[in-house]
Amino acid sequence: MIPELGYGAAIVALALALWGAVTAALGARTGRPALLLSAQHAAVGVFVLVTACFALLTYAFLTFDFSVRYVATNTNLGTPFYYRITGVWGALEGSIILWAWMLALYTVIVILRHRVSARAFYPWVLTVMLGVLAFFLLVMTVAAPPFARSSPVPADGRGLNPLLEDTGMITHPVALYLGFTGLTVPFAFALAALITGRVGDAWITLTRRWTIVAWYFLSLGLLIGGWWSYHVLGWGGYWAWDPVENAAFMPWLTATAFLHSVMIQERRRMLKLWNLSLVILTFGLTLFGTFLTRSGVIASVHAFTQGAIGAFFLSFLALVLLTGLGLLAWRWDALHAQGALDSIVSRESAFLLNNVLLVAVTFTVFFGTVFPLLSEVARGVKVSVGAPFFNQVNVPLFLALIFLMGVGPLIAWRRASLDNLRRNFLAPVLVGVVAAAGFFALGVRSAIAVLTLALTVFVAATIAVDFARATRARLRVGERLFPAMRGLLLRHNRRYGGFVVHLGILIIAVGVTGSQAWSVQTETTLRRGESAELAGYRVRFEDLTASEESNHFKVAGAFTVSNGRVLGVLRPAKKFYPQEQSPIAYVDYRLGLNEDIYLVLGDFARDGSQATVKLLVNRLVSWIWIGGLVLTLGALLAILPERRKGA
Amino acid sequence: MKGRYATAVLLLAVLVADPARGAQAPTRAVTESQVHEVAAELRCVVCQNLSVADSPSEMARQMRAIVRERLEAGESPARVIQYFVDRYGEWILLSPRRSGFTLLVWLAPLAAVAIGFAIVSTLVWRWTRRPASASTPPRVDPAMRERIRRETETEP
Repeated sequence: MIPELGYGAAIVALALALWGAVTAALGARTGRPALLLSAQHAAVGVFVLVTACFALLTYAFLTFDFSVRYVATNTNLGTPFYYRITGVWGALEGSIILWAWMLALYTVIVILRHRVSARAFYPWVLTVMLGVLAFFLLVMTVAAPPFARSSPVPADGRGLNPLLEDTGMITHPVALYLGFTGLTVPFAFALAALITGRVGDAWITLTRRWTIVAWYFLSLGLLIGGWWSYHVLGWGGYWAWDPVENAAFMPWLTATAFLHSVMIQERRRMLKLWNLSLVILTFGLTLFGTFLTRSGVIASVHAFTQGAIGAFFLSFLALVLLTGLGLLAWRWDALHAQGALDSIVSRESAFLLNNVLLVAVTFTVFFGTVFPLLSEVARGVKVSVGAPFFNQVNVPLFLALIFLMGVGPLIAWRRASLDNLRRNFLAPVLVGVVAAAGFFALGVRSAIAVLTLALTVFVAATIAVDFARATRARLRVGERLFPAMRGLLLRHNRRYGGFVVHLGILIIAVGVTGSQAWSVQTETTLRRGESAELAGYRVRFEDLTASEESNHFKVAGAFTVSNGRVLGVLRPAKKFYPQEQSPIAYVDYRLGLNEDIYLVLGDFARDGSQATVKLLVNRLVSWIWIGGLVLTLGALLAILPERRKGA
Repeated sequence: MKGRYATAVLLLAVLVADPARGAQAPTRAVTESQVHEVAAELRCVVCQNLSVADSPSEMARQMRAIVRERLEAGESPARVIQYFVDRYGEWILLSPRRSGFTLLVWLAPLAAVAIGFAIVSTLVWRWTRRPASASTPPRVDPAMRERIRRETETEP
């Protein structure tokens, strides 16, 4: 009964979404409010129905309803309560429901917020959002129905992918999907702007904060993904340039480019065409990412399934891009305006360069990700494009971006005078050069490490210079120090939110540099009571214990870690799941600001007399998580409504 | 100094020429980071997308052991990598060869940067020439303009 209800709800939701998309479009053309009202009701109806689908599927998970195939393949009687809930979106079908639900939620929020404030765009925005929603509901009813029955009904399910049994399962996909789906809003506004011909700045002002919200969630999703990789996958790293990581990274890059180029349009009324293209491209990349993730064309940790779903996403992607390009061509005359710049040395140039670099990185990641496919199709030879390639190609581009991060915010708009350059950059450049010499003197010999760290110091110095100068200006008019600083952050929250985000990125850059340059590892086999040493740590193998958990069998080693004094006992383990052929590594670690000690259990003797252990001392990795936290705080600050007017 | 270098090259040439002899040659001290460097270029054959250096799998551990063995026997890193390519095909290389078809993947990013840069510099060049000729500057008295300039520059 439950599955039939869910299936029915999905079909009705699909019909309503289509109805709403059409009536909103008709309402926009005829101007009849009744049509628009009907579309609005349809959208709310879709939200309610998708919520019902979600609730019904969750209920099926909680009650072990193995007559539903999706439940049977993603849970079993041993799955703990918590993972029965997160398991709902642990694979393809459920994640599509989650996706559709978030999209419906965004649609309702857009209705509430912009019904009046964006009257000119609003009907078309509704059409586009409901159209996209209809696509996902189509996938939900035809290509990947979550409520499909299993026959015969198994006595027990297969169980969740063990790698997904982690608390990150609630935060990582949710944040990432909120980011992905959130990018539909700016896309819908961009299309509405093109359709109505109002390609001026109104749509940008309306959607800038929406883009930051989506960007914020996307960043959060990527960072939590990195943390997950670090503490669950057991290889000691946080980013593998896996096709699916790349898939989420690409829209992040283009959205970042958009958030910068938007400022040129706001200031100088230029780049209309470019900004619209970036938004359409960003949305296209989210679909492409889902296609990569869900179609299984490229082997990856995240590729759940194969089948018709790939064709669905590819067709929809083609439709979106063609529509976008068609509309851009149609509005060519309005968009194709000549820009005018006063000088090559200006903030406009810095932002343009920033866009070139971000799009170049996007292209590199895209091409590298699809290249194996290309090679196989073109000449039948399998090749890999992995981390060493992406690192070599992208690091120079990242360094250039960091440099621009220092230049862009401080260089003057229009024309930077020599005086402006000297006032803003002389001190930071000197500090950067001194820092480079300092790092070299401290024994840093890797050229890339010295360069990255020095650039980081340079950019941090530019931010400090700016903040100090602005604070001083406020002190001069009689404000006290802390109120002055707080006032700056809150009244110019967009600018200083941006600065805080930049600081976060700098901290992440230091973490990445440190972990790449200075992490060390070793692997040894220890008898009971024996010790291994690495980078000042001594790790002693104490014993091995086996235990039966609710849905797996676990063998854990106990290792005492000391560096002069005892720091504690780490218990890395191997988990044996009946549904998995090979055991899952369960790492244990001790995090620190400067270095983490990280243990992975390898082979072991059945009698517990000896065990192989991989020992890693990872340097500065914690900076990545701290930087992530700073970055998200900055994004939150930038999302706050501007208070400048009231000042 | 020069003599020692020549001896090393000679020794290497002999070892490379005769891998069977290489296996019996006195073992060289090989550090963990040397093994890591080679292993980082190789794909773990049973994993989704991890290098031999990073993978916690048993297969990767054995492959690391082979890397170490061969390096200790005096083989060059390039030769050790070739050993794996001979067995598993180009697929095992995490960064594709910079020759033939796979050169494309290396050139594409360079081309992207070059084209992007060319487009932007052309536009900037064109656009910076416009205001002087096309648009006449608004009539604002110099003092006012100076004030505006000062304020836009110092605005935080």
